Amino acid sequence: MSAAATTAPVRRALPAPRGLVWTVLRLHRTALWIWTGFVVLTAGLLLWLYGPGAAHTQHLLDTLGYAGVQQDAWAAGVTGTFTGTYNDLFQDPASLLNISSFAVALFAAGTLTSRELENGTARLAWTQSVTPARWLAAKLAVPALLVTAGTSLLVLLYRMLWNAHGNLLLAGIGPRALYFAIGPATVAAPLLGLAVGAVAGLALRRTLPALAVAGLAQYAVNAFRANSWPFQGRYQQPELSVRSRAITSTGKEIPDPGCYDSHACLARHDVVGFTRRYLPSPDYWPRQLLETGVLLAATAILVAVAFGVLRKRSTS
Amino acid sequence: MSSTSTTRSTVAVEARGLTVRHGRRAAAALDDCSFRLPAGRVSALVGPNGAGKSTLLATLAGLLRPSAGTLTVLGAGPAETRERIAYLAQDKPLHPQLTIAETLRMGAELNPARWDAAYARAIIEQGKLAPGTKVRKLSGGQRTRVALALALGKRPDLMLLDEPMADLDPLARHELLGTLMADAAERGTTVLMSSHIVTELADACDHLLLLGDGRIRLGGGLDDLLLAHTVVTGRGTPAELAPHLVVESRAAGRGLTALIRNDGPVDERWQAEPPSLEELLLAHLRSPGTPALITPGTTAAPAAVTR
Repeated sequence: MSAAATTAPVRRALPAPRGLVWTVLRLHRTALWIWTGFVVLTAGLLLWLYGPGAAHTQHLLDTLGYAGVQQDAWAAGVTGTFTGTYNDLFQDPASLLNISSFAVALFAAGTLTSRELENGTARLAWTQSVTPARWLAAKLAVPALLVTAGTSLLVLLYRMLWNAHGNLLLAGIGPRALYFAIGPATVAAPLLGLAVGAVAGLALRRTLPALAVAGLAQYAVNAFRANSWPFQGRYQQPELSVRSRAITSTGKEIPDPGCYDSHACLARHDVVGFTRRYLPSPDYWPRQLLETGVLLAATAILVAVAFGVLRKRSTS
Repeated sequence: MSSTSTTRSTVAVEARGLTVRHGRRAAAALDDCSFRLPAGRVSALVGPNGAGKSTLLATLAGLLRPSAGTLTVLGAGPAETRERIAYLAQDKPLHPQLTIAETLRMGAELNPARWDAAYARAIIEQGKLAPGTKVRKLSGGQRTRVALALALGKRPDLMLLDEPMADLDPLARHELLGTLMADAAERGTTVLMSSHIVTELADACDHLLLLGDGRIRLGGGLDDLLLAHTVVTGRGTPAELAPHLVVESRAAGRGLTALIRNDGPVDERWQAEPPSLEELLLAHLRSPGTPALITPGTTAAPAAVTR
């Protein structure tokens, strides 16, 4: 005990993680790096879309109006970076966020729970001075915190990007779906994934079945979020109004004259610029909050189930 | 540290009617086991494969919930005393991605009140293992050493070891057993360890639990149990050995050799010898029908000292 007694105060003075938190962070260090990498890369993509990536399309919008946006979106490879057009790249962070919630579910089902039950290391933890319930609490809380922090940052950046450059998107279901999807519910979805994975892992106790079940369940959740279920037919995203105007040399806003890319036509209408923006929908917050509420309620239920399953499996 | 110093009682484990099933409809892995383990003893847990040794150890460690019976470990339920119990599972699970040093750090982080870092490190150094080595790179015996360091570094009051020495080389086995015994003697740690290696048990243990088919077949101090039995050789039939209980008998030349449970002195026409531990165990393992013998010190108290 003497060695522990002498080192303990020193370590306590440091703000380093301790106990179960340290253990969870250390055991899942690879996952932590992957998550950090994902957040950094996606944030980088969002910032690029916000800044330099938008310049070309913005210029086309300014000079040709919506026709410029169309021209840019239909001419693949104009931006020359990555693979797609600005319009395509704008959607990619949403896909990445979707995939990440799926990955979180698989992580929770495999590495976090069932693998430890399968190879006996969970019992190793439970025979230290740690109850199974505290073990599970740490296993859920630490990833939940990091997932929330990461996705919140990305969602904030995405909203910022939308407000700045949502007007550079081709009209249609794309921007509408994006607008209504990105928000607090985007943060709640991977948290539900975490709970789904934990329940699958704890209940099935074997890695492969747990991965399969968690994967399917989270796929269903993501389908729900994308309004792909048949029963959601009457709950499709509402229309999103766009206000598109041409600006004349006198500063007057007139309807788009429909010149497409004819500069002569634009000159004839005395158009020197364009303005185009999506109007905020009054449906956004009700829909977001409802969806977030449903996801978080499901998360809470599944977390309770996870603790219940653990209680049956152990003597906590 | 809820109850470390409350009861320095003489009983480390008390089980009454302990029954454990793996699944609701499965046959009982432990069937109505009643026994007590005196504190400070080093007990051997012996039995054929599938007898329930691992189940008993895991139950005492608070990892399995008994389906019937009561169990008191160090004066409370096993889950409440987990701080003071060390458990070494048979397959020695460790996190392969951690280094040895990180594994010990985990022990320190998860046992903040009890961890003895210097002691755990000494066990690693004794095996000449570099602390920076990943657990994944270790051999089976080396893993066992790390797992034991993790169990012992906790400075437990009760050690439950499931075949602790099985994959160690003879030298390491001798060393680690020595460490274990020294620790037990010095600190009065109660040890219950399962093993198939009888010589190891004879050297290290002073107490025995023999499990067969989920029941306690023999329980008590090693010397008491050996004294209670005799190997007799002579001419005659097993029936002539009454009133002694014949555990096992075998034809030997024109007479027979039998291991008996003494009931008074043995008749002089039989040549009597004290049995070795191996003879005692083998005779009981080969004769599952023999009535159980549990010495008074190992018998659970009839009245409830409930948890």
